[in-house]
Amino acid sequence: LPNLSKDLSLLLSENEDYNMIINVGEQPNVKQFKVHSIILRVRSSYFRAALSSEWAKVENNYITFNKPNINPKIFEIILTYIYTGTIILDESISSDTMSILEVMMAADELCLQEMID
Amino acid sequence: MSSRKQPKGKIRPPKKPNSADAQFNDNWDRLAQAIREIHKKNASILSFEELYRNAYNMVLHKNGDKLYNGVREVITQHLEEVAVSQVVPAFPLSGASSSQTNPNGAGGANFLKVLKTVWEDHTTCMLMIRDILMYMDRVYAKTANVPLVYDLGLDLFRDTIVRSQNYPIQNHLLEVLLQQIKLERENEIIDRTNVKASIDMLLELTDASTKDTVYATDFENKFLETSSEYYRVEGQMLVGEYDAPEYMKKVDKRLNEEEQRVRHYLSQTTEPKIRNIVEEELISKHLKTVIEMENSGLIPMLRNEKMDDLGRMYKLFGRVVKGHDEMKSAISDYIRELGKAINETVTSNTTAEGGNAASGDKQTGATVAVRWVQEVLDLKDKFDKVQNLALSNDKAFQTSFNEAFEYFINKNSKSPEFISLFIDDNLKKGLKGKTEEEVDSVLDKTITLFRFIGEKDVFERYYKQHLAKRLLLGRSVSDDAERGMIGKLKVECGYQFTTKLEGMFNDMRISSDTMTDFKEYLDKSVLEKPKLDLSVTVLTSTFWPMNLSASPRCNLPPELTKACGTFQNFYLGRHSGRRLTWQSNMGTADIRGSFKARKHELNVSTYQMVILLMFNDKQDGESLSYEQIKGESDIPEADLKRNLQSLACAKYKILVKEPKGKEINPGDQFNFNNDFTAPLQRIKIQTVASKVESEGERKETREKVEEARKHQTEAAIVRIMKDRKTMEHNLLIAEVVKQLQSRFMPNPALIKKRIEALIEREYLERATGDRRVYNYLA
Repeated sequence: LPNLSKDLSLLLSENEDYNMIINVGEQPNVKQFKVHSIILRVRSSYFRAALSSEWAKVENNYITFNKPNINPKIFEIILTYIYTGTIILDESISSDTMSILEVMMAADELCLQEMID
Repeated sequence: MSSRKQPKGKIRPPKKPNSADAQFNDNWDRLAQAIREIHKKNASILSFEELYRNAYNMVLHKNGDKLYNGVREVITQHLEEVAVSQVVPAFPLSGASSSQTNPNGAGGANFLKVLKTVWEDHTTCMLMIRDILMYMDRVYAKTANVPLVYDLGLDLFRDTIVRSQNYPIQNHLLEVLLQQIKLERENEIIDRTNVKASIDMLLELTDASTKDTVYATDFENKFLETSSEYYRVEGQMLVGEYDAPEYMKKVDKRLNEEEQRVRHYLSQTTEPKIRNIVEEELISKHLKTVIEMENSGLIPMLRNEKMDDLGRMYKLFGRVVKGHDEMKSAISDYIRELGKAINETVTSNTTAEGGNAASGDKQTGATVAVRWVQEVLDLKDKFDKVQNLALSNDKAFQTSFNEAFEYFINKNSKSPEFISLFIDDNLKKGLKGKTEEEVDSVLDKTITLFRFIGEKDVFERYYKQHLAKRLLLGRSVSDDAERGMIGKLKVECGYQFTTKLEGMFNDMRISSDTMTDFKEYLDKSVLEKPKLDLSVTVLTSTFWPMNLSASPRCNLPPELTKACGTFQNFYLGRHSGRRLTWQSNMGTADIRGSFKARKHELNVSTYQMVILLMFNDKQDGESLSYEQIKGESDIPEADLKRNLQSLACAKYKILVKEPKGKEINPGDQFNFNNDFTAPLQRIKIQTVASKVESEGERKETREKVEEARKHQTEAAIVRIMKDRKTMEHNLLIAEVVKQLQSRFMPNPALIKKRIEALIEREYLERATGDRRVYNYLA
């Protein structure tokens, strides 16, 4: 199981065969994440709804999604959790109560109940 | 540095109500607008993320209730519009006239189609609304204990469309559905997809008070009521118009159709209910009518062996409670009726025979017996076939049929005798023309009839008599077949029943050994050899049915008497303490007769030999009167008449009788028929070996049976009391009945008499304290 988690994190960092682009944050602090819609779908009911045929927007063969109200740094933690099931907090965040609260709020918005627990 | 000022602001308590209100209104306006766009199928311009975020923010700021109510309002409004603009215009031409002016229900079908579209649009929209309100469902609806938004949508649809207070949508919907079903029942093609869509819709909606589906509360009962009425009318119409097989086919078809209908577009829960209705209206209510239909009901089906129709009736009627009972009793009654008819042909035949009984055509008697058994067997075959081919070998039917057979077979008091005669007939002539297997199968069937006989002891008595004659007169065609039959009886009744029969076989075997020894004895002996070949069969008196005390008298010719004496000395010399009684009525003799044309060898009975030998001393043309023969021979009257008949009135007329005729009467004169001719050298004079008993003989047999029953009853009582030592009266009676019923049904009065006789003979005593209790006296 640790291997599975590691391999999946590679999938995120090397973004092979990605089919979806998420733009996170507000200008000028916007970061683009290249992800795999299928993983997001199975891991999160938020993304399952967002990626349903009624809602998904496709541009240049990539599903495009904007998430302005979350800090890219926070979103990265969320995304890592979605891919690997583990929460990795670096110094700058784990020491900052506000940041931790931000992570939890974002998880709540995205219906990641398990992550909050 | 974090750029996310907003969330921070959100967490703050609403210290700035104005700005929060403005934010709320802004959020809500966007959402309400978006939901309207969704309803207009314009969702492609919308952003999921944005709408979700709006709803998320509203819930986060404790405005969940406002959001929820707002959504309810927007959806209700939309559905109201849909009702007016789409559903109401699609109403089929209103009310009662619609079904007449529009018999094909095209208007109805169209209405269903519109409803189908409306419903599909609604569910699609609700799914999208659910997506953007996911956070509300998860956070607000749970805590506020209100339905999730999709379920809210269903409830709104139920109240605004299906059960609209403003428009008679519900009435139209139910009416159209029932009309479509009615059309389909009348063989119109309807669009099942539309009906199914509406039914599925009703199944998805829930009734608030009963928590049951709207299908169950609004539709199902109406459907069942109208179906009931429909099939009530149809049932009456069908029984009037069709014969039983056609009727059943129609019912079969209907049952099938309703099952298909449920499977295709109704709820599976309705299946048993509608099935019950069809079964009640088309089967239960017309059971008797269909069974009793003249020319086509149950009895005509049986008569014409309509196995398919019978099978259909069995399956169909088995669906309802009373169905098989009614069939069973009707068939059983029919069997009894047929049985009664068979019995009646016998009595009419025997009484007819009784009329010319003196003519003594005794063969007819046996023929009647054989025919009776054959007819009963044919009947049994017929109903076995019905049982097998149409009734799935249903045990309950078998039991009921057996009771019917038992009933009428025992109605014929001669049945034990008849069955024994039938077996006799088969074992005598059977193998001629029939293979052993065939005979065996006939005998097997006969055993099934034997099982039905209540008085098995009476059968045993007849069987012994008939077997005795077959053995002694050498009429039995196959020893194996005889033993086979006894084997079958043994299986049925146990060895006690057959020990005596087996003893008879044993006697036959020992006798043939004895005769070999006797011949050797004669060869070695210095005694004068008898002038004739004597063949003796020594019978153990208890095994054989002959009556010793009434041993038949007959004056045998001197040579024969002498030969008998020689044998008697030989036999008693070997077995001291035994007594031999000559049964001259059972013997046969080969004698040579010289006629004008040629000599013939005659195989005759001992009695016939005695009669014929009398004519040896007479001149040609000199006659003997009946009285002279009777006086000189001392043969019992009945036997004498029978034997004279065989000699003078049958196929081979060795004697000529004056006056001519079939009957033997006192005063008749007999002459030796010198002119007799026959193609064969060897002639067998048939004596009537087996026949139905005359009334007198029957009475005698009856008395013997009664006597035997007395002994058996006493034996049973003693056996039981010896074991129990002391026993109460009723228990004793019950136990005796139990032990004896395989042979006959003892009546309690008989048992009581035997108990009293045993008390008198001091086998038993009444207990001192209780007169109802008996003690066994060792």
